[in-house]
Amino acid sequence: MKLYIGGVYQGQEELARTENPGGEFYPDFHEIIRRVVLIEDREPREFARQFCQEHPNAIVISNEVGAGVVPMEASDRAFREAVGRALCSIAQEAERVTRCVCGIGVRIK
Amino acid sequence: MIVLVTGGSGCGKSTWAEKLVASMPEEKRVYIATMQVYDDESVRRVARHRAQRADKGFTTIECEKDLASADIPEGSTVLLEDLVNLMANEMFDGGDVERIVPALRELSRRCAHLVMVTNDVFSDGVVYAESTQEYLLKLAEINRQAAELADCVVEVVYSIPVAVKGEVPCV
Repeated sequence: MKLYIGGVYQGQEELARTENPGGEFYPDFHEIIRRVVLIEDREPREFARQFCQEHPNAIVISNEVGAGVVPMEASDRAFREAVGRALCSIAQEAERVTRCVCGIGVRIK
Repeated sequence: MIVLVTGGSGCGKSTWAEKLVASMPEEKRVYIATMQVYDDESVRRVARHRAQRADKGFTTIECEKDLASADIPEGSTVLLEDLVNLMANEMFDGGDVERIVPALRELSRRCAHLVMVTNDVFSDGVVYAESTQEYLLKLAEINRQAAELADCVVEVVYSIPVAVKGEVPCV
């Protein structure tokens, strides 16, 4: 399992695809988390644990969404929090975590 | 040691900060709680944080504002959580923003170890109403002053500590 993260449009998906040709990609993972947690009402860490078990070779690509002013809408707050919790679990499982800034990958794990 | 811990929402910075404090001396371990409890969401948040640190031997001191008034024994190991709430309470609840930095300086002098938690709220690219922009500006200033006081500054990125100043302390 590998995790690629970054702010919006920072090139994390392109970098992930370049570095892992033929990999099992899960781009826009934050949107998957949004659906699973807000619509299917699942606990984010429990979802992440199950995902890691079922997809041990996944290349997970996600935006970082937590670094802004606390949103007014409760569902927006829940979304940010859920992405954080789920990606913490995935980062712990991942053999490497790469953060992309201006297209440049910085390996943080 | 003085440490400033930052990161986005839900990134695991509290968990990491608590682990860091748990690796420090056990006597006089103080948790300064700054959050005002006003709705179900904040009640749940407080309950989660309390459960997280339940077995770590903290004495909890509630301090929503006027940090200098908190009775912190000399030589304590202090986890201050967090600058964002403290700042909001001083600014929007009849306090005084200007007393935060002097209080942090005094606290860092009194403590054996001080771990301050703050929050990265600066990267969503949104321009807010004037009072929120003012809040962001002041908070950024306080973060910078806190970083200057600190021996190390750590950004927690989805549970992974990344050094911003100095080296990441071992936890």
